[in-house]
Amino acid sequence: MAIRKWALLAAPLLALAATPAKAQDGVIRIGVTLRMVVENGLKYGQMVKDEFEAVNAAGGINGHKIEIQLLDDECKPDKGVSNVNRFIHQTQVDLIIGSTCSSVSMPMVDIVTKEEIPLVIPQSTNQDLTKKGSPWVYRVPVSERFYAAVHAKWLAENVGKKVAYLVTTDTAGIGFAKQYQVYMKKTYSVDPVIEVQAQETDLDFRAALLKIKSMNPDVLAIGGQADAIARVSQQSYEVGIPSRVRRVAASAASNAPVPELGGDSVKGLIYAAAFNCNDERPEAKAFVKLTQTKYGVRCPDHDFSQAYDTVKIVTQALKTANLKLTAGSHAADRMAIRDAMANVKDFHGLASGPISFCAAPTPQCRDGNRTGILVEYTKGGKDYDTKLLARVTFDADFGL
Amino acid sequence: MHPVLPWLGGIAVLSFLPLITRTAYDQYLLNVIAINVVLAVGLNIVKGFAGQVTVGHVAVMAIGAYASAVFSVHLGLPFWLALPAAMAVCAGVGLLVGIPALRLEGAYLALATLGLAESVRIVISGTEWLGAAMGFEGIPPPHIGGFVMETHFRYYFVVMPIAVMGIYISFAILRSDMGRAFKAIREDQLAAAASGVHVAKFKLIAFVLSALYAGCAGSLKAHMAPGYLNPNDYSLQEMVTLLLMVIFGGIGHIWGAVIGAIAVTIINDLTQDYYTYRMAIFGGVIVLTVMYMPRGIGGMIEDFWVRKRFAALRAATKARQAAP
Repeated sequence: MAIRKWALLAAPLLALAATPAKAQDGVIRIGVTLRMVVENGLKYGQMVKDEFEAVNAAGGINGHKIEIQLLDDECKPDKGVSNVNRFIHQTQVDLIIGSTCSSVSMPMVDIVTKEEIPLVIPQSTNQDLTKKGSPWVYRVPVSERFYAAVHAKWLAENVGKKVAYLVTTDTAGIGFAKQYQVYMKKTYSVDPVIEVQAQETDLDFRAALLKIKSMNPDVLAIGGQADAIARVSQQSYEVGIPSRVRRVAASAASNAPVPELGGDSVKGLIYAAAFNCNDERPEAKAFVKLTQTKYGVRCPDHDFSQAYDTVKIVTQALKTANLKLTAGSHAADRMAIRDAMANVKDFHGLASGPISFCAAPTPQCRDGNRTGILVEYTKGGKDYDTKLLARVTFDADFGL
Repeated sequence: MHPVLPWLGGIAVLSFLPLITRTAYDQYLLNVIAINVVLAVGLNIVKGFAGQVTVGHVAVMAIGAYASAVFSVHLGLPFWLALPAAMAVCAGVGLLVGIPALRLEGAYLALATLGLAESVRIVISGTEWLGAAMGFEGIPPPHIGGFVMETHFRYYFVVMPIAVMGIYISFAILRSDMGRAFKAIREDQLAAAASGVHVAKFKLIAFVLSALYAGCAGSLKAHMAPGYLNPNDYSLQEMVTLLLMVIFGGIGHIWGAVIGAIAVTIINDLTQDYYTYRMAIFGGVIVLTVMYMPRGIGGMIEDFWVRKRFAALRAATKARQAAP
């Protein structure tokens, strides 16, 4: 019994002592931190790993192998900070990819700027990330400064300008509502009909929705994560908000749990995104087939497509970077990757528009994708379906 | 020998620790461990010494962290003033949290403090001047003149002495009349009151002292690079992790809380690579602890010493009996 107790105590300390430190040895090390313990999270995390493994199988990058360290940050900033510190100081990576949540990417930007390591953001949309002006940061997804205008313009012109907001207190939800309101105020001088804030963990939104119903809005804007969007959508019909009131949601609405949990209530729900799984382009069809056969995902959302595009963009940049990968070349290699990323122009992947970067550390240069699409759910449930409503490309300065 | 001298010696010895670490990540981990030690030792005062069930400790830490951030960023106070100011704010919060403890016990007190834990996070999430859900940025690191403690190596020399000091104060409390009053309340409130212990007063003091520790830990976390706070980092998940530190270490044992904070932080770090099974591993540690070490590591060490003393006593008695 006593031996068992001591073994239990000593195990973690021995394991820490055994953790090896890394050194430069001709291998390109990439640290990836994503929110993975969510619907499909583990799958797109695995896909990132698999795609880099495929590059290795094809001979690597100019003869150099890629080594991936994939970690979950659980959408918690503390975890993200811990992961990035680990990548930089322990694994000594050449490049970091991350994260899914803007609140996690936010402190990561400060760390990589100080430590001078290139960071490629695969999924976070908050516009402040690139406004910080870091020369080390590149963003693959569409910034929320563009997203907001995609649906705001379409809804104002086709539905109405009386907008009621129901927003949960998460970064994505708040950012979505804020940008929508700014656009409506700036363009049409219109204030919100009503704005109600709820908690991320709330399950019952009926009281807030009844209040919204009494205001008779044209549009119900739902800011939050996937499960909140599904619940609000469903409960909005339960309290009697008619179908003529158009439901619009943050880009998390593109995640599969929304139509699956929301069922028929999501029919007519619209959202701005960077990818639609009904995309007819051959590369998009091939990608959807890949996710179906390899990862069991029938209709991949834009978190999937953006993770895939990130791998392809990074691979392209690494091929053009002049890497030495010796013990003394660490700083030079990181700088070479940073500069190679700035040379990515008109990358045509799965995204809604071409992705281009440039050297200046400004949002104009570092928000790669400036095209958003507007998607509508035409069917809910497990076999949900969508259709493309609009595709809008913006000037690099838009929304700044 | 003055009782403080061994502790100063401890600080001197621990000062060499970052020099033998392999990477700056290890130094970062040492800083996280030191902050968790302060937090766990503080929770041990209210939970271990005084026997009060609280699950709001992480919320008090959040208040300390945000108070320190506000004092630094909005009022321009240096870390060395923001830290005690944040602790003072938390002492006030501890007093408020302690009031329900005068009437509530056990699960009911846990529920009341759970309410505090969630409401603090929710209030911060919706408060724009605290950064709301996007987080509070740009909290400066401590500095002495032009010497800025922004690296993990330098910051270690801020957090480590404070953590050692925290342990020392905790021992001083435990060995004082106040510590004995806490333990009397923990064992039996009625008996303690009958013995002349002012139960209400000492309960409040326990909450205030514990909150001071939480505020200190919060402030230390706020000023550690990259100087960013987010309400998502103060959820129930963090509270469960903190409780695990104290339970794993052994409720009521100061060294147990220290060892628990070290062990849980390291286990947490080592399981990062196994993200699919991480929570299962963590859960497994809790189950194994409760099954095989219900009194935690502290209890295990205590058992060891008691057995050793008993064996020595028995041997001495046998020797006496065998003597002609």
